[in-house]
Amino acid sequence: MAERTGVIHDIGYRGYDGPREGTGALALTLYVTGLRHAFGLGRSGRSKVLPFLLLGLGVVPAVIVVGVVTMVRLNSLPVSYAAYLGQIQMLVTLFAAAQAPVLFSRDLRHRSIVLYLARPLPPALFALTRWASLASAILVFTLLPTLVLYGGGLLAGLDTGDETPVFLRSVALQLMLAALLAGITGLISSVALRRGFAVVASILALIVVAGVVLIVQEIAAYEGIEAVGEIAGLFSPWALHNGLAQAWEAGGRSTIVLTDAWAWTYLATALVVCAACLALLVRRFVKVGSR
Amino acid sequence: MIDTSGITMRFGTVEALTALDISVGDGVTGLVGANGAGKSTLIKILLGLLEPTSGTAHVLGHDIATESAEIRRLVGYMPEHDCLPPDVSASDFIVHMARMSGLPATAARERAADTLRHVGLDEERYRQMGGYSTGMKQRAKLAQALVHDPSLVFLDEPTNGLDPAARIDMLQLVQRIGRDFGIAVLVTSHLLGELEKVSDHVIVLDGGRLLQSSATSDFTQHTGGLLVEVLGGDAERDAFGEALARTGLTCRPRGQLVAVDPPPRDLSLHALVRDTAADLGLGLVRIQPDQAHLEDVFLTQGATHG
Ligand SMILES: Nc1ncnc2c1ncn2[C@@H]1O[C@H](COP(=O)(O)OP(=O)(O)OP(=O)(O)O)[C@@H](O)[C@H]1O
Ligand SMILES: [Mg+2]
Repeated sequence: MAERTGVIHDIGYRGYDGPREGTGALALTLYVTGLRHAFGLGRSGRSKVLPFLLLGLGVVPAVIVVGVVTMVRLNSLPVSYAAYLGQIQMLVTLFAAAQAPVLFSRDLRHRSIVLYLARPLPPALFALTRWASLASAILVFTLLPTLVLYGGGLLAGLDTGDETPVFLRSVALQLMLAALLAGITGLISSVALRRGFAVVASILALIVVAGVVLIVQEIAAYEGIEAVGEIAGLFSPWALHNGLAQAWEAGGRSTIVLTDAWAWTYLATALVVCAACLALLVRRFVKVGSR
Repeated sequence: MIDTSGITMRFGTVEALTALDISVGDGVTGLVGANGAGKSTLIKILLGLLEPTSGTAHVLGHDIATESAEIRRLVGYMPEHDCLPPDVSASDFIVHMARMSGLPATAARERAADTLRHVGLDEERYRQMGGYSTGMKQRAKLAQALVHDPSLVFLDEPTNGLDPAARIDMLQLVQRIGRDFGIAVLVTSHLLGELEKVSDHVIVLDGGRLLQSSATSDFTQHTGGLLVEVLGGDAERDAFGEALARTGLTCRPRGQLVAVDPPPRDLSLHALVRDTAADLGLGLVRIQPDQAHLEDVFLTQGATHG
C-alpha cells in the first residue's frame, strides 16, 4: 500500500500576529471576488464561456454601429445609448439570470454560507455586498457597449456637446437598471437554489413579463388608451428603463411617451422595487444563519 | 475561554438547552451528548448564529449578545454538516476563507498552505473538493476553521463519517491543536470513549441539561487504588476487607470486589493484599488497578436522569 494520504506532517505550528482587516475591507474583498466570479474569473475555465460570450454578443453590434458612423460620416448615432440597450435587452437579462445564481445560490445550496456567517461580516452586509457585486457586473455589461458607442462616436467626429449629456443620462439609467435587475434575479436565486430553476424563473420574471408589457403597451397605443400602457410599464424593469430613457432624453426609444408625472412615478417605482428586493435579500440571509 | 449562565434555547415546544451553566478553559474540552442533546445548538449560540431564548454567555471575554462580530473574528468553526462548495479547490477556498476572516492577501496564501499541510491535505489540495472523500472533506473543513489562527475553535463532530484509522488521525490532530498549536478547542462527539483520550476536560450534556463537567484526569487517571476479588461469597469478601482494614488501609465492598483506596504511605499494596489473602487462606481471583472511566460516569449518572 502506498503511504496513506493524510498523514500529519511534523512541521511546527506558526501563529499569526500580523494585521487583521476591518469589516469594511472584508466587504470590499468579498465585493471584488464576487464581481470577478460573475464573469467566471477565478473560477473554472468553463464558467468564463457564457458571460464572455454574452458580453461579446452585446459589444460587437456597437462596434459595427461605430464602423458605420465612421464610414458613412453620419452626424448622430443611428442607435443611441439607451435604445441600443433596449436592443440587447435579451442578452443583458440572460447575463443577469445566468450569473445571479453564482453569487446567490451557491453558498446557500452548498451551505458554505455558515462558514461566512461564522466570520466577522454580518449577514445583512454579506447580502448587500453580493448584490453590489451582481449589480456592478450588470453595469459593466451595459456600460461597455455604450462606451464603445460614445467613444467611437466621438472619434468619428460626433459633437461632444451633443453626445455627452445624453450618454451621462443613459449611464444614470443603467445604474438604476443594474440595481433593479440584480435585486430581482438575486432574490429569485436566493430562493430557487437549483441553478436551472433560478435561471428559468428569472427569465420568466424579466423577459416574458417585458414581452407581455410591450404587447400591452403597443395595443394601448394603437387603441389610444395611454394610461393602460403607462401602468403596464410599471411591471417591467425594462419598460421602466426604456420609458425613462425616452422621457429624459437618454437616447432611448419607447412605445409610450411619459408625461413628467409618470416619469417620476416610474423612477419612484424603480426605487421602491429595488429597496424591497434588498430588504427581502437581507432577511433571507439573516434568517439562514439560524438554521 | 467560555462562560455561560442560564442559557436556555427553545425551538417552539422543543427545549434544546435548559438553563445551562458551563465554563470552558484552555486546552481541549470535549462536549459529549447523544443525538439531540443540544451540542450543535450550544455552539451556534456561542457563535452568535442563534439567539438564546434566555441566558447570557461570554466567549473570550466578549458578550455573545452584543459583541458577536468581535467573537467571530477570534474563533474558528467547523460545522458538523457538509459546507464545502464542490467546484473549488481546497487551496483556493481556504485562501478565500482566510481573507474573509480578515487576513491580508499574502498572509492568507501563506497560512492556507501551512494549514492545509497541518491537516494533512497534500497534492489533493489543488483538486476540486467535490471529488473528495469524507475524510478529505473533514480535513478541508478543519483547515478553514484554523486558517486565521483563532484563539478558540469549535469542532462539531470532526470524526463524523470517518473510518477507524481516520478517526484516530483526526483525534490526534484535535489533540495537537489544543496542546501544540495553543488554540483552545471545544470538540463535540456522541462517543464518550473517543473524547476521553484527547480532552483535558469533558462536559456531558443530556437532553439539553448539564450532566457532568470535570477534568478528564479526575475520572480517568489511575487512582493508585486496587480492585480485588477473592474466591467465595459475600462473607469471604467482607472477612478479607476487614483484614485489610486492620492493616490501616481504607477499603469498601464494590459488587463482588473489594475496592482498596491508595495507601497513605509508600508501601507495596500488591504484596500486602497477597499476604493478607494467604493469612486468611483465601484464594485470589484477580487484582486490577481501580481506574474509573468516563463511560462509568455517564452510565451511572445518566441513568438517574432518566
Ligand atoms: N432550527 C431548529 N428548529 C427546531 N428544532 C431544532 C433546531 N435546531 C435544533 N433543534 C432541536 O434541538 C435539539 C438539539 O439539537 P442539536 O442539533 O443541538 O443536537 P446535537 O447534540 O448537536 O445532536 P447531533 O448529535 O444529532 O448533532 C434537537 O431536539 C433538535 O431537534
Ligand atoms: Mg449536532
